[in-house]
Amino acid sequence: MKRSILFVLIAVMLLSAVSVVSAETPTAGVIWYNFADTFIQNARQTLLNVAKADGTVEIVDADSQNDIATQTNNINNFYTRGIDYLVLNNINTAAISEIVQKAKEEGVVTIFANTDSPSDEDFANYDGLYLVSSRAPQSGTIMGEAAVKYWKEHPEADRNGNGKMDYIMLLGLTWHYDTQVRAEYSIKAVEDAGIATNQIGGEVVAEYNRGQAQEKVAALLANFSDDIDIIFACNDDMALGAIEALKAGGFFKDEASFLPVCGVDATVVGCDALRDGTLLVTSLNNPVTLGKAIYKTMYLLENGKEVTTETLNMKGATVEGHRIWLDYTAITKENVDEAAYDITDTTF
Amino acid sequence: MENSKKYSLRFVLENYALYIIMALMIIIIGMMSPKFFSLRVLRDILMQSSTRIIVAMGCMFILVSGSADLSGGRTVGLAAVVAGSLAQKADYYIKFWPSLPEMPVIVPLIAAILIGLLVGLANGFSVAKLKVPSFLATLGWMMVAYGANCLYSNKPPNNSQPLGGFLKSFTDLGTASFLSVPYIIYIAIGVCIVVHLLLTKTCLGREIFAAGSNSEAARVSGINVFKIQMITFAIAGVCYGLAGCLEAARTGSATSTYGNGYEMDAIASCIVGGCSLTGGVGNVFGVFFGVLIFNVINYGLTFIGLSSYWQYVVKGLIIIFAVSIDMRKYRRND
Repeated sequence: MKRSILFVLIAVMLLSAVSVVSAETPTAGVIWYNFADTFIQNARQTLLNVAKADGTVEIVDADSQNDIATQTNNINNFYTRGIDYLVLNNINTAAISEIVQKAKEEGVVTIFANTDSPSDEDFANYDGLYLVSSRAPQSGTIMGEAAVKYWKEHPEADRNGNGKMDYIMLLGLTWHYDTQVRAEYSIKAVEDAGIATNQIGGEVVAEYNRGQAQEKVAALLANFSDDIDIIFACNDDMALGAIEALKAGGFFKDEASFLPVCGVDATVVGCDALRDGTLLVTSLNNPVTLGKAIYKTMYLLENGKEVTTETLNMKGATVEGHRIWLDYTAITKENVDEAAYDITDTTF
Repeated sequence: MENSKKYSLRFVLENYALYIIMALMIIIIGMMSPKFFSLRVLRDILMQSSTRIIVAMGCMFILVSGSADLSGGRTVGLAAVVAGSLAQKADYYIKFWPSLPEMPVIVPLIAAILIGLLVGLANGFSVAKLKVPSFLATLGWMMVAYGANCLYSNKPPNNSQPLGGFLKSFTDLGTASFLSVPYIIYIAIGVCIVVHLLLTKTCLGREIFAAGSNSEAARVSGINVFKIQMITFAIAGVCYGLAGCLEAARTGSATSTYGNGYEMDAIASCIVGGCSLTGGVGNVFGVFFGVLIFNVINYGLTFIGLSSYWQYVVKGLIIIFAVSIDMRKYRRND
């Protein structure tokens, strides 16, 4: 009996704590797909920091734990609670139109963040709909272009002399949008440059995981060591796993045993590898820019301004209608310092 | 005569199915690409199996004692991050603990084992004392371990970045060799030997089997089931901690996503290797080969360039096949 009273008391306290939060300042309910994701973590922290320093919009956020059902619950909870903005790092990509329709009915300004874009019809349907996202295909193109440059500068890059770029493609999660576009656009960039390609090992899925990539590449090296010309990885962790396996297989001992490996994300350890001369290229989708662009979009709307490239005024951001696109930056050994960002910076 | 021949074929199939499948796979892959029969391949496979063998050994204790453990994978992840955070070079520019000096490799190793032990004791206490079903207790502690890991790796200046800049003495633990055999293989085999001796040559081992077969009968015959459960979870935790440390050393990095899914791989390996989900049955040799067969599949199918999608299919079928043969065996013995 005592316990149940205590439980009720705690529940009441928690509920009242939640309802006290929003008084006058408009509230944005922010839903991230996964708090454990490094990139999300940094974007989330930036958004919280900027909002706290500025105070125009208040942020409450929720974790979908990489689960569509949890995301749906989070959205409903926010509507019940009452929010002015919904920022959705959507993973339910099959239900974009339904999500937009619901937001329209609720009258909540909705910003899709770093995810598939809603369609033109969705934008036409609801005026309060925005997208703030990186151009995901760019991350693939950057890998492909770096590979082309290396290939043209190094005639010995065709290690078995078959005239084709023999590559391994390390995939993250095959249903994952980033994996799909990175795999597709990297090879597209190579083929657009007139270089024939040959994939070794089929679909090599390493789930964005360093250890798995290391194991898969070790196995492929044991069989195709003399054929592999280049390794593309859909993130830096897998690229670094590949580099570990290559090191164990006798590569990266000197200049002659270099093998180009391309990654995405510009993580701290990825940049270390650029400096060491093992990783060829990576690209940065700046989480700080994402966090700030989301906040600034709400800030402009809150101040009754239109969101344009000029009013947004952020480096690498372009506005097309209600779509705010953020550029990836190619990072190589030469400009590795550009990969640094500061999540505690609250200027926007 | 006819009858006994039939019987013996059946006997061989039922008792050695796992080894037959593995031998067949190796022969088929070798026929497709003879390079497969090389010391390098053997070394790679053993190396890739080693941390998983250690996790599976821990998991086996739990299964034999009649419980289940879902916390293995995330405990490996937590131990990997903690070990990694204590094994960085002094001059690494985003050192996790900037004021700590470089430490001998024993420090991260012990820290990882202690973390594993802690999770193990928490599991054991929840199961043995609080009477939470092991499936749920370990699910709960799995989440706690993962959450703790995310919180820990999010500490500035690290901010959830993958840990890097490890000391060479630390990465050597996972990559260097003695007599061209990697240390990590010696460690895994060492763990197997210790576990084997513990389970078969000690009083504790017999008590674990007894408690797993029938905990009520064990209790009545004077076995302290509380103690047994605490000890099995603690030993499992130590195995996970050790595996986590080695995983960080082997890959040269660690993040909060490490170890995800290892518990299921370990349970599958144990079951394929002859452990019973209802407790009281299991042996080190079988589990060792249970892990090995999955790694032969992983490695071998990648080696011949077969798409990862097919690997999932083959892995799934082998689990079902192996367990169904096992069930036949036990049904007949009844």
